[in-house]
Amino acid sequence: MALSKEDRVRELARLVDIPIMESEIAEVADRFDSLLQELARLTSLDLADIQPVTIFPEEA
Amino acid sequence: MARDDLAFLSAVETAEAIATKQVSPVDVVQAYLARIDRLDGRLHAYITVLRDDALAEARQAEQALRRGDALRPLFGVPIAVKDQFWTKGILTTNGSRVYRDFVPSEDATIVTRLKQAGAVLLGKLNLSELAMGGTQQPPYGIPRNPWDLERTPGESSSGSGVALAAHLCAASVGEDTGGSGRGPASCCSVVGLRPTFTRVSRYGMTPMCWFTDAAAPMTKTVRDCALVLGAIAGYDAQDPSTSRQPVPDYTAPLGQSIRGVRVGLIRELQEHDDMHPEVRQAVYDALGVLRQLGAEVQEISIPLVALAGAIFVGIADTEGAGARDEILRHRAADLDPASRTRLQAAALVPAKVYNRAMKARVLLRQQCMQALQQVDVLVSATMPHPPPKHSALTAPFRGAEDVRSRFFFRRAYTGCYPLAALPAISIPGGFTSDQLPIGLQLGARPFAEATLLQVAHAYEQATPWHARRAPGIEG
Repeated sequence: MALSKEDRVRELARLVDIPIMESEIAEVADRFDSLLQELARLTSLDLADIQPVTIFPEEA
Repeated sequence: MARDDLAFLSAVETAEAIATKQVSPVDVVQAYLARIDRLDGRLHAYITVLRDDALAEARQAEQALRRGDALRPLFGVPIAVKDQFWTKGILTTNGSRVYRDFVPSEDATIVTRLKQAGAVLLGKLNLSELAMGGTQQPPYGIPRNPWDLERTPGESSSGSGVALAAHLCAASVGEDTGGSGRGPASCCSVVGLRPTFTRVSRYGMTPMCWFTDAAAPMTKTVRDCALVLGAIAGYDAQDPSTSRQPVPDYTAPLGQSIRGVRVGLIRELQEHDDMHPEVRQAVYDALGVLRQLGAEVQEISIPLVALAGAIFVGIADTEGAGARDEILRHRAADLDPASRTRLQAAALVPAKVYNRAMKARVLLRQQCMQALQQVDVLVSATMPHPPPKHSALTAPFRGAEDVRSRFFFRRAYTGCYPLAALPAISIPGGFTSDQLPIGLQLGARPFAEATLLQVAHAYEQATPWHARRAPGIEG
């Protein structure tokens, strides 16, 4: 059975040891959902040959 | 000159007036302190005012003048910094109750360099909690936009924007992770520069996202910005990521013609459906001014820029949550509710999603660099709308769609430059029919701050926006 978005947040928070107040679970779940939905738009990009970097060589 | 008028001088004008002994550095500091006393109870630009220290430094400057000591570029100029920069022996709150007792044992490098350049440290400026933005209950007061007290001055270097627009300091250094310097500059009709990431030391600057955070000169004029950048830029052994490239005289190109400079309007930002029509028109008008000045204007496409807000939040918030893991696990109750839930959500982002955002960042950088093969300077609005009301920002979120519309869209405008590690500047670009400020943003290649400042200065001098004073705050 699929977890509700609130239960998913509870479970992820437990795994990463981040306590979340029960009264704020719904807001965290909304924020988390919207973040994942926005970032899901990146799945259409061809990123296979790209290596992530933090500082670009031209900045040295 | 009447004492109150001293506070309306630019930093460059202040330094010149002091150097030529037209005014005393003590009088200048007193002028600013008098304005702070009169206005900051409503504006909440400052968290800490260094009244006694600033006056003592100004008296020392006065003695140095009498002795005929060699003068430095910011000699006697009262500067205030965002309360994210460490100051030795002085409270540094980061805008948070978590840091309400934090008194660093050393200065941030930019503070040291400002002092070495002769500046007088006037105080520590308010900010959104932990330099994030979206604080619902700011613990040190709600910073008010001098152009409309009901409007936000922008986030997160809010106090810097307010203090400059209300002439409560001569210049400031804020911080810009994804637009935290340029956004307030836009909202308050002042200048804000995000330098190339490795150009200015971040030592002693409380981090949000370690590879996009940047110290950001914020000033009344473009010339002031060039002066402050020159004072703080350069290699710092305490921040190994800083570049060893020499620091040019950023004031040198100011006043030079921009004839033949190639300017590219970023199509995806300008044509976005949600952009405020008066902001869009202001950008078109600015392009007309640049054309008259001899620039060659064209449209340019950076396809991925529309997603820059999401990429930025995916990376910066996740990094920010990692950097504050101890706070999230043990002191979350001390955080503002909006900061807390934002960081908690970011702490849950899966590695696969974060990795995809990091790769998308590299692709965005490639697209920006390709665009900058065709033009010298990129142009857009700094923000897609005028400064919103405080209540619009601090209202609780009403579902995921509300989060998306309020959170991601506007961040594309400023977020693209830190993601691509490029310098960008926001300058006053006009006003709406409601007299709300509009910011014009220019971006350029790595280390091309001199080009940015040259074009920004040419535009500034051809337009009246920077000379306007915020109404209605003097009463």
